[in-house]
Amino acid sequence: MILGRKMWLKLLCYFLWIWSCLAYVQSVPIQKVQDDTKTLIKTIVTRINDISHTHSVSAKQRVTGLDFIPGLHPILTLSKMDHTLAVYQHILSSLPSPNVLQISNDLENLRDLLHLLASSKSCSLPPTSGLQKPESLDGVLEASLYSAEVVALSRLQGALQDILRQLDLNPEC
Amino acid sequence: MICQKFYAVLVHWEFLYVLAALNLAHPASPWRFKLFCAPPNTTDSSLPSPAAIAKDASALREGSEAVVEAKFNSTGIYISELSKTVFHCCFGNEQGKHCSVLTHNSEGKTPASAVKALIFRRLGINWDIECWMKGDLTLFICHMEPSLKNPFKNYDSKVHVLYDLPEVIDYLSLAPLKDNFQTVQCNCNVQECECRVPVPRAKLNYSLLMYLEITSAGVSVQSPLMSVQPMLVVKPDPPVGLRMEITDDGNLKISWNSPTAAPFPLQYQVKYSENSTIKREAAEIVSAASLLVNNVLPGSSYEVQVRSRRLDGSGVWSDWSSPQVFTTQDVMYFPPKILTSVGSNASFHCIYRKDNQIISSKQIVWWMNLAEKIPEKQYSIVSDHVSRVTFSNLKATRPRGKFTYDAVYCCNEQECHHRYAELYVIDVNINLSCETDGYLTKMTCRWSASTIQSLVGSTVELRYHRSSLYCSDSPSIQPTSEPKNCTLQRDGFYECVFQPIFLLSGYTMWIRINHSLGSLESPPTCVLPDSVVKPLPPSSVKAEITVNIGLLKISWEKPVFPENNLQFQIRYGLNGKEIQWKIHEVLDVKSKSASLPVLDLCAVYVAQVRCRRSDGLGYWSNWSRPAYTRIMDVKAPLRGPEVWRLMDGDVTKKERNVTLLWKPLRRNDSMCSVRRYVVQHRTAHNGTWSEDAGNQTNLTFLWAEQAHAVTVLAINSIGASLANFNLTFSRPMSKVSAVQSLSAYPLSSSCVVLSWTLSPGDYNLLYLIIEWKNLNEDDGMKWLRIPSNVKKYYIHDNFIPIEKYQFTLYPVFMEGIGKPKIINGFTEDDVEKQKNDAGLYVIVPIIISCCVLLLGTLLISHQRMKKLFWEDVPNPKNCSWAQGLNFQKPETFEHLFTKHAGSVIFGPLLLEPEPISEEISVDAAWKNKDEMVPAAMVSLLLTTPDPERGSVGVGGQCNSANFSGAQVACEDECQRQPSVKYATLVSNSKPAETDEEQGLIHSSVSRCVSSEPSPLRESFSSSSWEIEAQAFFLLSDQQPDMVSPQLSFSGLDELLELEGNFPEEDHSENSVYYLGVTSVKKREKDMFLTDASGVLCPFPAHCLFSDIRILQGSCSHFVENNLNLGASGKKSFVPYMPQFQTCSPHSHKIMENKLCDLTV
Repeated sequence: MILGRKMWLKLLCYFLWIWSCLAYVQSVPIQKVQDDTKTLIKTIVTRINDISHTHSVSAKQRVTGLDFIPGLHPILTLSKMDHTLAVYQHILSSLPSPNVLQISNDLENLRDLLHLLASSKSCSLPPTSGLQKPESLDGVLEASLYSAEVVALSRLQGALQDILRQLDLNPEC
Repeated sequence: MICQKFYAVLVHWEFLYVLAALNLAHPASPWRFKLFCAPPNTTDSSLPSPAAIAKDASALREGSEAVVEAKFNSTGIYISELSKTVFHCCFGNEQGKHCSVLTHNSEGKTPASAVKALIFRRLGINWDIECWMKGDLTLFICHMEPSLKNPFKNYDSKVHVLYDLPEVIDYLSLAPLKDNFQTVQCNCNVQECECRVPVPRAKLNYSLLMYLEITSAGVSVQSPLMSVQPMLVVKPDPPVGLRMEITDDGNLKISWNSPTAAPFPLQYQVKYSENSTIKREAAEIVSAASLLVNNVLPGSSYEVQVRSRRLDGSGVWSDWSSPQVFTTQDVMYFPPKILTSVGSNASFHCIYRKDNQIISSKQIVWWMNLAEKIPEKQYSIVSDHVSRVTFSNLKATRPRGKFTYDAVYCCNEQECHHRYAELYVIDVNINLSCETDGYLTKMTCRWSASTIQSLVGSTVELRYHRSSLYCSDSPSIQPTSEPKNCTLQRDGFYECVFQPIFLLSGYTMWIRINHSLGSLESPPTCVLPDSVVKPLPPSSVKAEITVNIGLLKISWEKPVFPENNLQFQIRYGLNGKEIQWKIHEVLDVKSKSASLPVLDLCAVYVAQVRCRRSDGLGYWSNWSRPAYTRIMDVKAPLRGPEVWRLMDGDVTKKERNVTLLWKPLRRNDSMCSVRRYVVQHRTAHNGTWSEDAGNQTNLTFLWAEQAHAVTVLAINSIGASLANFNLTFSRPMSKVSAVQSLSAYPLSSSCVVLSWTLSPGDYNLLYLIIEWKNLNEDDGMKWLRIPSNVKKYYIHDNFIPIEKYQFTLYPVFMEGIGKPKIINGFTEDDVEKQKNDAGLYVIVPIIISCCVLLLGTLLISHQRMKKLFWEDVPNPKNCSWAQGLNFQKPETFEHLFTKHAGSVIFGPLLLEPEPISEEISVDAAWKNKDEMVPAAMVSLLLTTPDPERGSVGVGGQCNSANFSGAQVACEDECQRQPSVKYATLVSNSKPAETDEEQGLIHSSVSRCVSSEPSPLRESFSSSSWEIEAQAFFLLSDQQPDMVSPQLSFSGLDELLELEGNFPEEDHSENSVYYLGVTSVKKREKDMFLTDASGVLCPFPAHCLFSDIRILQGSCSHFVENNLNLGASGKKSFVPYMPQFQTCSPHSHKIMENKLCDLTV
């Protein structure tokens, strides 16, 4: 009986969330959302480009020990995009560099846009609130801050460019 | 031993019992109680058993049961053994008159016995004890006061408190616990004692075990053991900050602040009195720190006090706060002040009391600022005594001086109380403008608080709420908002910076205005940082003039951010101090350059670019850094230079040196520079060849053939000029004349206009060449090329007007240079003549005016001088010196002049009257005419000492007018009374006009002399000297060429001889006249008397230049016969005659009547 109530509450919350997203979608044209999403991705990519020490990173060189940073795998669905970006946002928020703080904010906006896009397709993205902080993150950041930042940003850049391509292909939820 | 053990057990038992009793007595904390102590009935040192105590108590109860009215609520009995006298002590409550003894049995604690307090009181001592925990939670205080007849009253008491603060009471180890008790001595005086037990804050919830030890007069009393939890008997400090105000609803709101040290919620009790008569104490205990009192009346005073206690009811009421008095006004406004925003509604209520009578609300009217009555439709009656006024859609309060509010008055019909309500209406429509920087990391919002500056004492803050994405259509103030720090800038704006930002999150912002009267909030506005971006200006801006195309090309790079499409705007203009900008919009969002047509390709242009989002959102960026074009060759020269030649040598020679001259090309023609000039020659025999002139602008060659054509090319880095001027030197053509006339007119020193006419010809006239040069200087020749269709041309150069210039006009045909037309322009004479002519019109009138003024002044001054010095003009008849003179004798006459000349001291005109002259006035007779015949006045002025020349004598008819005679007389009735006539004669050049002249003269004189001769004659004669002298003087001065001294005297003889009309035989018959000379043509103007005055007038200006004529009415025959002036009508001058006359018979006739008048 108690479990049933919890289920109902979850469904209610889910419904409310969907409703709020739909309300946004109704008020904001979906084309604008798509354009803003692409523009924001380009903006983040440009921001990363503007961070000078990310230029010198060789794409061929593989850095080990940073497995908590998502690799450059194809991101085909909106939910994977959201999840990947959530991980990056989590990592970036742990970095003390002021450059990445703005990028972290941009990622939050980008994820909200992805949620809106998903809502426009009548699907919802799973919440990422339960995302756990990687255990090794603190140790790595303490010992290898530069590596962590450079690799995270460069991989984020690649991921964003991949997302940009996928958005043109009308990805699924 | 057994007894001792028993005693110990008993003590322990009793201790436990007391404790148990105390604990059981809670929650009624024994903060106020009585201590009763009395000696037992026996003095045995052994303690009574509980049974005995019970028995005793029971006996007491039985014996005095009727007396006992109340029971102990909480009591304890302790048997003191500290001295020989053992007291039994127990606690009683406030009303308690019984002291119960509790016994412990197996079932618990039950009252075993009761002792009548009256017995204790009679036999022992009573203490009123009050204990509490101080409000600051640091001290436990017990206040003791002996009651009734205290046996220790007359002794010094020593009171100690023994206490302990165990966390948990272990009833089994109470005995050893007592050894740990600490002792505090109480402060005692005769009346009271106060004991202070320090309690650590951490042990406020512990149990405080304590008992009192009282020693006085050798008697020691020990109270039973008490146990209390300090936290439960806290006595808070009284509330502070008690205040009262009338609420918006018209109630009296009493509010206060809780004591600061109370770490627990409190309840409060309020008591107040109204007008010091009605005392009220709020029955309801309130937990809030305020209390509303309704039915407040205007003009009443309220005295209020408040106290507090723990909210749960434990503890002790605090003391009452100090009383506060609040008096309501006769006119009560509620609310008394309103702070609201523009567009809102507001209402004021009012109760009006006058003379202890509350005015009916129906009689209340409202006024605003004591200036305007508020319409009654805004009133409403709330009750019989409460009126309300409502304002709708309020407008901002306009400050009046230092008053930043509107004063709202509640009035009793025509009478308004001086008190008023204040209405503050603030315009909170604060415009918030935000701008996101070009890096998309910072959003700066600015807003001005100028509209709320009038609200003194207010603070403003920006609050915002961020939504996850975008802005809602109707932003609203969210309950969950954050303040944002803003800094006041020098320009009066507040600036708030958001960094980092969420580009696509909606920031709903508003301004909150905090004031003591309340807070206001501006309408919220939502800003999306992405939509208020001010991009960075475009970079790498370059500007150039494109080669061969000739367009201004501007290129740029778009800024890194934003990623949106951008539109661009270009402004460009000629570089200079004040650039006249032109704007060009670039519509293609992907364009990175633009080419623009410009007029001057060889000038430096400056260009700037800016950008903004193409969808119109955001702001224009700043203009980029300016980019400048460089001057470089854009095209080949548009044309060659204008060319002319200098030729020297003999024209007839077959070979001549020709120096070609050309003017350097201007930048606009050369596009934009010339590297060198090349001269192309073409002749019939030698064909064509070129000659490089470099950067020079002249080239000399030998012209040897019949025709020689040259062309000068200008060459720059792009190429050679295509359109060039040809010049052909042809000997036959040099004789072809095409210019008919040429004239030059100087307009100014910098401009000469040249005009010409061309004759039609068969040749093809290409253009004209004007040459000019200063003939007086060798500064070279200057030339200009003029189109063939021009007929005149303005040459601008520095011309010197006094120099002579030569202007030459050459027709240039296709076949060669034609024959020139040469003139010399503006010589010195011409210029001077022009100058003179120009000056003549200005200077001459000025001179004339000055002369007129001068002579007028002289005339007036002379008249006055004469009147001053010649007031009594001597009558020649009465002159002694004249009477004795024979004027027929030249020596006598000479002597006369000599004598006279010697006596002149003021000059030739100011003659000494008495010895030298005599005036004879002769009035002419009228010839039966009504009009008055003008009098001829003859005056004589002798200026020349030469008797030979000056003494021209003419014999008179009536007397011996022998010229050689020493006496000239015009005698009455031939009395031959000698007299000298001084006359100035005016002759007429046309004798035929004598009649007319007579009339004219008559009229002219009649204007000066009235028809009544006698009085005028006197005046006239008295002034005749002046007139004559002036006339004479002027004639000889002003017209020296017309009247010369020689002519006056010696020249006159000759003139008369030449005329031949002055026969000897007539000498005896004609009088000699002394004549002035005049220009006949000006005689019409010879009037010096005004029409109406009839008196002597000042000389008009023209009279000074005019003649003096003889009147023909009397002496015209002289003119006709002797002077024959009719024949001399063409002459400009009238001969100057000596001052002797020969009167005609007619004149004699007149003279017989003493009317021989001569006039001037």
